[in-house]
Amino acid sequence: MMERGLVRFLFLILAVAICGAASVFQPISDSHRSAALDVFVPVDGSYKSLEEAYEALKTLEILGIDKKSDLSSATCENVVKVLPLSSSTLKDALYALSVNGILKCKSGEDVPKDIVSKLQTGVKEAKLLLDFYYSVRGLVLVKEQFSGTDISLGDAEAVFRSIKALSQSDGKWRYSPNNPESSTFAAGLAFETLAGVISLAPSEIDHSLIQTLKTGITKLFDSIQKYDDGTFYFDESEGPISTTASVIRGLKSFAASESTGLNLPGEKIVGLAKFFLGVGIPGEAKDFFNQIDALTCLEDNRFSVPLILSLPSSVISLTKKEPLKVKVSTVLGSKAPALSVKLAQALSSGSKGSSVINNQELKFDAESATYFLESFPKNFDVGKYTFVFEILLDESANEKAYITEAQTKVPIAATGAITIENAEIAVLDSDVGSVESQKKLDLTKDEAVSLSANHLQKLRLSFQLTTPIGHVFKPHQAFLKLKHESQVEHIFLVKTSGKKSELFLDFLGLVEKLYYLSGKYEIQLTIGDASMENSLLSNIGHIELDLPERPEKAARPPLQPTDPYSRYVPKAEISHIFRIPEKLPAKQISLVFLGLIVLPFIGFLIGLTRLGVNIKSFPSSVGAATSALLFHGGIGAVLLLYVLFWVKAIGSVHDSKGTVFAGSVSVVRRTQNTVSPRSSIEQAEICLKDIYSSL
Amino acid sequence: MGAKKASPDLLNSSFSFKSLKLKTKQQELLLRVSILGLVYVLAFIARLFSVLRYESMIHEFDPYFNYRTTLFLTEKGFYEFWNWFDSESWYPLGRIIGGTLYPGLMVTAALIYWTLRFLRFFVHIREVCVLTAPFFASNTTIVAYFFGKEIWDTGAGLVAAALIAICPGYISRSVAGSYDNEAVAIFALLLTFYLFVKAVKTGSLSWALGSAFGYFYMVSAWGGYVFIINLVPLYVLVLLITGRYSMRLYVAYNCMYILGMLLAMQIRFVGFQHVQSGEHMGAMGVFLLMQVFYFLDWVKYQLNDTKLFQTFLRITVTSAILVGGIALGVGTASGYISPWTGRFYSLLDPTYAKDHIPIIASVSEHQPTAWSSFMFDYHILLFLFPAGLYFCFKRLSDATIFIVMYGLTSLYFAGVMVRLILVATPAVCLISAIAVSATVKNLTSLLRTKQKVPQTGSTKGVGSSKSSSKVTLDQSQPFQKNGAIALLVGVFYLLSRYAIHCTWVTSEAYSSPSIVLAARGAHGNRIIFDDYREAYYWLRQNTPTDAKVMSWWDYGYQITAMGNRTVIVDNNTWNNTHIATVGRAMSSYEDEAYDIMRSLDVNYVLVVFGGVTGYSSDDINKFLWMVRIGGGVYPVIKEPDYLVNGEFRVDKGASPKMLNCLMYKLCYYRFGELVTEYGKPTGYDRARGVEIGNKDIKLEHLEEAYTTSNWIVRIYRVKPPTNRL
Amino acid sequence: MVKSTSKDAQDLFRSLHSAYSATPTNLKIIDMYVVFAVFTALIQVAYMALVGSFPFNSFLSGVLSCVGTAVLAVCLRIQVNKENKEFKDLAPERAFADFVLCNLVLHLVIINFLG
Repeated sequence: MMERGLVRFLFLILAVAICGAASVFQPISDSHRSAALDVFVPVDGSYKSLEEAYEALKTLEILGIDKKSDLSSATCENVVKVLPLSSSTLKDALYALSVNGILKCKSGEDVPKDIVSKLQTGVKEAKLLLDFYYSVRGLVLVKEQFSGTDISLGDAEAVFRSIKALSQSDGKWRYSPNNPESSTFAAGLAFETLAGVISLAPSEIDHSLIQTLKTGITKLFDSIQKYDDGTFYFDESEGPISTTASVIRGLKSFAASESTGLNLPGEKIVGLAKFFLGVGIPGEAKDFFNQIDALTCLEDNRFSVPLILSLPSSVISLTKKEPLKVKVSTVLGSKAPALSVKLAQALSSGSKGSSVINNQELKFDAESATYFLESFPKNFDVGKYTFVFEILLDESANEKAYITEAQTKVPIAATGAITIENAEIAVLDSDVGSVESQKKLDLTKDEAVSLSANHLQKLRLSFQLTTPIGHVFKPHQAFLKLKHESQVEHIFLVKTSGKKSELFLDFLGLVEKLYYLSGKYEIQLTIGDASMENSLLSNIGHIELDLPERPEKAARPPLQPTDPYSRYVPKAEISHIFRIPEKLPAKQISLVFLGLIVLPFIGFLIGLTRLGVNIKSFPSSVGAATSALLFHGGIGAVLLLYVLFWVKAIGSVHDSKGTVFAGSVSVVRRTQNTVSPRSSIEQAEICLKDIYSSL
Repeated sequence: MGAKKASPDLLNSSFSFKSLKLKTKQQELLLRVSILGLVYVLAFIARLFSVLRYESMIHEFDPYFNYRTTLFLTEKGFYEFWNWFDSESWYPLGRIIGGTLYPGLMVTAALIYWTLRFLRFFVHIREVCVLTAPFFASNTTIVAYFFGKEIWDTGAGLVAAALIAICPGYISRSVAGSYDNEAVAIFALLLTFYLFVKAVKTGSLSWALGSAFGYFYMVSAWGGYVFIINLVPLYVLVLLITGRYSMRLYVAYNCMYILGMLLAMQIRFVGFQHVQSGEHMGAMGVFLLMQVFYFLDWVKYQLNDTKLFQTFLRITVTSAILVGGIALGVGTASGYISPWTGRFYSLLDPTYAKDHIPIIASVSEHQPTAWSSFMFDYHILLFLFPAGLYFCFKRLSDATIFIVMYGLTSLYFAGVMVRLILVATPAVCLISAIAVSATVKNLTSLLRTKQKVPQTGSTKGVGSSKSSSKVTLDQSQPFQKNGAIALLVGVFYLLSRYAIHCTWVTSEAYSSPSIVLAARGAHGNRIIFDDYREAYYWLRQNTPTDAKVMSWWDYGYQITAMGNRTVIVDNNTWNNTHIATVGRAMSSYEDEAYDIMRSLDVNYVLVVFGGVTGYSSDDINKFLWMVRIGGGVYPVIKEPDYLVNGEFRVDKGASPKMLNCLMYKLCYYRFGELVTEYGKPTGYDRARGVEIGNKDIKLEHLEEAYTTSNWIVRIYRVKPPTNRL
Repeated sequence: MVKSTSKDAQDLFRSLHSAYSATPTNLKIIDMYVVFAVFTALIQVAYMALVGSFPFNSFLSGVLSCVGTAVLAVCLRIQVNKENKEFKDLAPERAFADFVLCNLVLHLVIINFLG
């Protein structure tokens, strides 16, 4: 429902945008065909339901696109499966028959008797409109596809009356006798069903009944809705496209079955056609099908066939001097009958009401089937126009009743080359009139004009724009941009008054706006318009501005956006400043001193021997010997620890398993598991902590 | 005699009673042990006033830092503690705590805590911290007893233990809850001295080793170890000069110096100061002097020939002095030997700090001591001290010389800085104990001789030449006896007055937690102001965990310990510039202060305001120090701007810069609407006693976050900058 | 002056030498140990003077271990020397045990300080 509302809203926007009654509608074209391939070919290779299959296949058939064979075979299988089933619903039966009508899976004499009896039973027992619809339409299709069958509707008039009983006085129809809900969509279904009843049993229906139906149709058309651009549509809860398409289908089949013909207001038919053409290319399969199906009904019906006037291009280029081409065709793009097109008026958007061209007949080119206007009058200037076309039908040789709009309004833009004259830029002193420096500009080239000014002077830029026929041209965009070297930009508008376009920059008043930034400013001039084929953007040159110092309170220029590539680019490598490691002495010196250190110890030992140290009295008895051994062993072990420490077997900071001595002042190592008896004081605390933490 | 004869029968009849009768020596031992036990318990319980009155909490400011570090130690272990870099204080600089504190106190408390847990007493670490100081005070009394025994005799030791147990000078820094370095340091100090004196007396290496360990403990506990490392060499020097040197001195000092120095260098905070700092050069000089001296002595002994010795003496002494002088000169001139640091230099020159380092001058504990403080902290010990000196000089020995030197030097320093009364207390107690003990001993010996004389007189019988002399003695003896009794009563009275004074002082003056304030209400009931803790807990629970709080440095430790938030500056005051930045922010206008606060990432500002309660140690009273310290680094801040005619005012007559600076605004925000006292206008500041000058205060960049119930602590939130367009 | 000084020096030296030879052997052992330690310390100081004092803690620990053990040996010598009246009550075993204990503590601290 949201999408429907949104679609409606979009339509409204479109209508407003088209502003006024001028709009261009294009008939169905190749773009529709290529879109149809995307919309209607299923992704997984088969259609989800027979209704979808029918819609897709019908659309593809109308557009003339070749169906894929595997798809059609799969669908045919489905159809063949469904048709004989007695348990399939009426809806499935109808759509299976519809698909069969397109794909011709089963035809000829092989009539599915179950289906027919089922449909006939359905007709007899139907109470709801939809049931009537499915069963009657099914019977009609059976009759079309399987020749040699005798479909009898039973009591056709009773059926007719019971269907008609569902109608309402305002033209809408109800879905069921009990439910008071009514809709226009149901009206379309009802008309189709009644048309089917009439075609199945044409002799049995009373003409008076049909007459009342026609008044109902008129009533229905009273509830039609309209947009500003002349499109008409029916809107209901199913959405405008589905509702309108249903009504048109119903009208077509009713008109086809009815011999006297319907009298429907012509402009409304054209409006309906324009509505569907205005949808453009729908994205939903159902909308696409409804659009194409409704346009087909409008193309080929018994009441009136609308003709559409379209322009391949709505821009006239005065420089190229090409003729204006106009095409008239049916809604599906097929040829129109003989007619003549006249350009009644060419209203310019500027001066309202006055028309430049009046009642110009367009010539017909049979080869391309277009009408064209060769030449334009001399006073046809650039700008926006609204061309009013009138189509005159040759009444004589027409089988069908064609209908067109009375007047088709089309917006046309005429473009041309605008000449720029007398472009000059000057720096004026504060005294009126005295010119310090004046330079002529050739705006076609990027001229490096170099000016300089201080804050007491003024800058004047002036130029003249004229159209090809010599009128003064007021461009849509004309401005001057001053860009400082620090990328700060300022934009000033150039006003056109009278003959000239002029800009005065008084720097005294602009000092604050320019953020007191002195320096070199680049000057850039931009002139542009939709009607101007030579819009330009030229770098005129530079101006050196000398502005006073910025006071304390003045605003700072805003920060310019940084180049995103420079912001997110990888940053420079950070060079860490490491502490310069202390200069260690050369290895040789250290080794020399190591040797030197050993010397006193050797001297000590030698001295000891010289003194005649008593080393003979090593005790012999066991107890004393062991204690003496332990004593000397202990001292030796301590010295051994020194040696081990020196060769870094122990005491290293990176030693993982428990070693005894910490060896470092600042880092006390972790001894995880071992509690060695020969621990230092610090280690004792850690060991205690480890014990207690594990408690 | 008859009575005496009767008693053996009595004694013989009751067998158990005889066996219970102790010999004199055992009686004495029992007496001593029981006295010491009672003194031990007394020392502990005398310090428990604040625990009983308020609750078991940590007092003051510095102990909160110690508590926090101890908590960290018990939670994370010794490695983490030793290598701890704290990023929660001194934002954004951080502080290397592992290397800038004295770990002795924390490790001691942690060891006690772990021992108790091992014995299955699962106490909270805070309880251990609170009671560490009284526990070590009790231990100090034991050491004092032994020290007294060394110096004089056991009586002096007992008196010393009793005196030091309740001396207010010591109680002031070791009350329960005062979890500070001095709690452990005094124990270590006295222990070191005792062991050293014992080593000098016995000449044993093991006692010297003990004193080296005591010194190590002292170095790990307090920065005041410098006192030891200078007193001991001075003592050695004095002994050398007075000719009392001996081999024992050599052994004791050398072992203690070398081992003590090595052990002391294991503490990261001390580092290499023992060989690089000017304060420690005295010890090294004396060490070298001793080597030379004793070498000369030995050579003299070997030679036995004065003439040759003179020559030798000449050569060596001149060369030694030359070498020593050159080394010292080169060292000091090149800056390798750093001169005395400001903290200790101000002890020699008290006016140095005020001119050069205002932070040191601003601490109230660093002010010179008034006589009233001496009296307050020592009471009768003040005049017993000279008496003790007299006694020491009468019986000079190595130990008494030491205690005399200790007493005199520590009293000099106590006169320079109030905080150092603590260091002098053990010496004063010991010397006074000598006086008391010697006096009482003399008096009681006088009394005792009286009793013995009549007995001998009576046995000898009446009449004879001796009796006449004895009669004359008899006639003069009653006078002396009475005098002795009177004097004893006087001494007893003095000591009891001392005890009463100490108890009163402890109860009234030194047992306030200073984080919880108490006052008397209108009806005499006690009102408790728990505003500080209220504010810190508000901070803890209502601010984001990474919020930064700016306040004056006094409250830094408490905010980190109790509020658990990062602070900009705290009590460690190691970075003067950072403190000056905070001071500048507090004394600037709000806009400039806002810029400074944004640059420091400050989220909250905390000020202490005593205008409602009359609390006088608030930030307005400290404001001039903020100005001075800030102005010391940033010349933008000029002190005369805040004064009117040299006077500091906050009322209408105050200088406009004062009335609009950030501190004023934060303290007096919305105060102008408050009626604080009956009969006074709104905005009456009870601490200054004036009505404030600027009542309509609008804050632009801060908003009030919390004010405690008595307006003592006010917390403001720094608003983030307004959105730019 | 110089001549008298040198003659004095020679006399000095000779009398010292003669006096020293009288000392008992155990004291001489201790003296040699002291000399050995002092020489080691001097070599270390020379090394430091040559290559700079980084890392300072290693230098200090090395020098102080030598100086410390020398000093402790001198203390031992004092305590063991029979001519010292003050120490006549002290048994030489006790003195040596003290010496060993102090050296143990010294070297443990040195190892921790060595880095």
